Amino acid sequence: MSFSIVRRTLRDQRRGLTAWAVALAGLVGMYVAVYPSVSGNSSFAKMIEQMPKAYRTLFTTGSGIDFTTPAGYLNTELLTFMGPLLVLVYAIGAGAAALAGEEDRGTMDLLLANPVSRSRVVGEKFIALVIGTAALMVVLWLALVGEGRAAGMGVPLGRSGAALLHLGLLGVEFGTLALLIGAFTGRLAASRAIPAVSAVTAYLVNGLGPLVGWLRPLRKGSPFFQYIGHDPLRTGVSGLAAAVALVSIAALLTGALMVFRRRDLGA
Amino acid sequence: MTEVVRLAGLTKDYGRHRALDAVDLSVEPGEVLGYLGPNGAGKTTTIRILVGLLRPTSGSVQIFGLDPWRASLPIHARIGYVPGELHLYERLTGYETIEYFASLRAGRATHRDRGTDLHSARTLAERFDLDLTRRVRALSRGNKQKLAIVQAFMSRPDLVLLDEPTSGLDPIVQQEFHVLLRELTDRGGTALLSSHVLDEVQRLADRVGIIRAGHLVAVERLELLRSRALHKVEARLGTNVRHDYFTQIPGIRDLSLEHGVMRCGVPEASLDKMIKALGQLQILDIAITEADLEEMFLTFYGSTEADVV
Repeated sequence: MSFSIVRRTLRDQRRGLTAWAVALAGLVGMYVAVYPSVSGNSSFAKMIEQMPKAYRTLFTTGSGIDFTTPAGYLNTELLTFMGPLLVLVYAIGAGAAALAGEEDRGTMDLLLANPVSRSRVVGEKFIALVIGTAALMVVLWLALVGEGRAAGMGVPLGRSGAALLHLGLLGVEFGTLALLIGAFTGRLAASRAIPAVSAVTAYLVNGLGPLVGWLRPLRKGSPFFQYIGHDPLRTGVSGLAAAVALVSIAALLTGALMVFRRRDLGA
Repeated sequence: MTEVVRLAGLTKDYGRHRALDAVDLSVEPGEVLGYLGPNGAGKTTTIRILVGLLRPTSGSVQIFGLDPWRASLPIHARIGYVPGELHLYERLTGYETIEYFASLRAGRATHRDRGTDLHSARTLAERFDLDLTRRVRALSRGNKQKLAIVQAFMSRPDLVLLDEPTSGLDPIVQQEFHVLLRELTDRGGTALLSSHVLDEVQRLADRVGIIRAGHLVAVERLELLRSRALHKVEARLGTNVRHDYFTQIPGIRDLSLEHGVMRCGVPEASLDKMIKALGQLQILDIAITEADLEEMFLTFYGSTEADVV
């Protein structure tokens, strides 16, 4: 196999991916630059302590706010909200464009008129999604470690890598959900909207789980819990959480393959 | 000889709407089958089933003896496709499009070589005066259609499935396309050509399948179709003659007699009687022309509904 579809897909994304990479590196740089003034400022910590508990829990996904250590600061500022938001926007966009984008725009007809099986299209589009997400994680990682070092912040190489591995899995999970919706509907709007709403729901379930009684049992099922529930920036990779994410991704991908192989493609 | 394309009882439903109803059709090697019908008659549905994009509701479909839904790969390695509703990758250049498809076609399984396809694509683009360096987005409709033709023919397919292939092309380019199609059949290739442009089918097809509202109305050799069809007769007469002088000619229709000019349509079988009847009269001027497919259409459908063309 020549992986022509993977290469074509990534080449089509090259400008978008570059923009994402620059934006992410810039974002990290901004957080790192602000850190010294935040960590040394006790009134800032006091202000945060006076926030309602629900608010604090929601925006720290239960791990509590700690601006005195680099890990705590990055957790709160980057990893619990902004990081996932940006990664999910990319991954859901890429996953939706993969099948629904081609079908919605009508290019799927000519693509599939080549000697290319539908499974191969799904498979290669998925590989492109994984590579794209991984590339963004690597950029984010280099930015965290590099810019952190330059600012004397001391971001741990391994642990931050672990956090980004889990973040990447989170992105691929929702990206594959978008791929599945695309395989099922062939509609771009639905392939973006359904995973986006699912991601917000999963975020709230994880964030509010500790506070709301009936949500508590659901919390462990949230992909956000697999991502950050074990606090990867402090504890490293969780084999269990990674396995749950991988199994979910595999299930979504299998679903996409099965649905896409059986369906009439839009005229 | 085995058929290249064989449809038997092909039926396709979209929900409760029946788009194709028990269509039986075969295409023989080396022939151009014209697939003629009004828009919405089921031409595109048939072709998209052949390409494996749609699954038939019932009936059987075979290309090279294989089922296009299950065995799309070996079929697609040997076919070229021009879709009816053309959507190319707008952001790619013509060359990038060709390159992409050539790389998808290449490989051990398909016995195709990327370089050979690219070379023939460049040659074709030159023939059709198509600039491959421009982005698809910037191409006119006609130029996009040229690109669709180039990608369909670049790998020297054994079968081309062409859904309204010349729409948007100017007459000179259409002419070049006809030559290209003739070259394909000369080397044993086969074509299924859907069209509502009667003139085109008349010029290119060996046989014609006529489809209407999902039903295959007729499949005929073009000559047979012509022989069945009306000839138009127009004669300026020097003799005063009454209307019923002509009415006994079998199959005569649309007879008019005004200011000494007689106009009518007669089937080929009645031409002899017509000429002999005219022989008794003084003829000042006469024209007998072959009816075109449009009129054949009307005789087949037995109606003059506006949607026929």
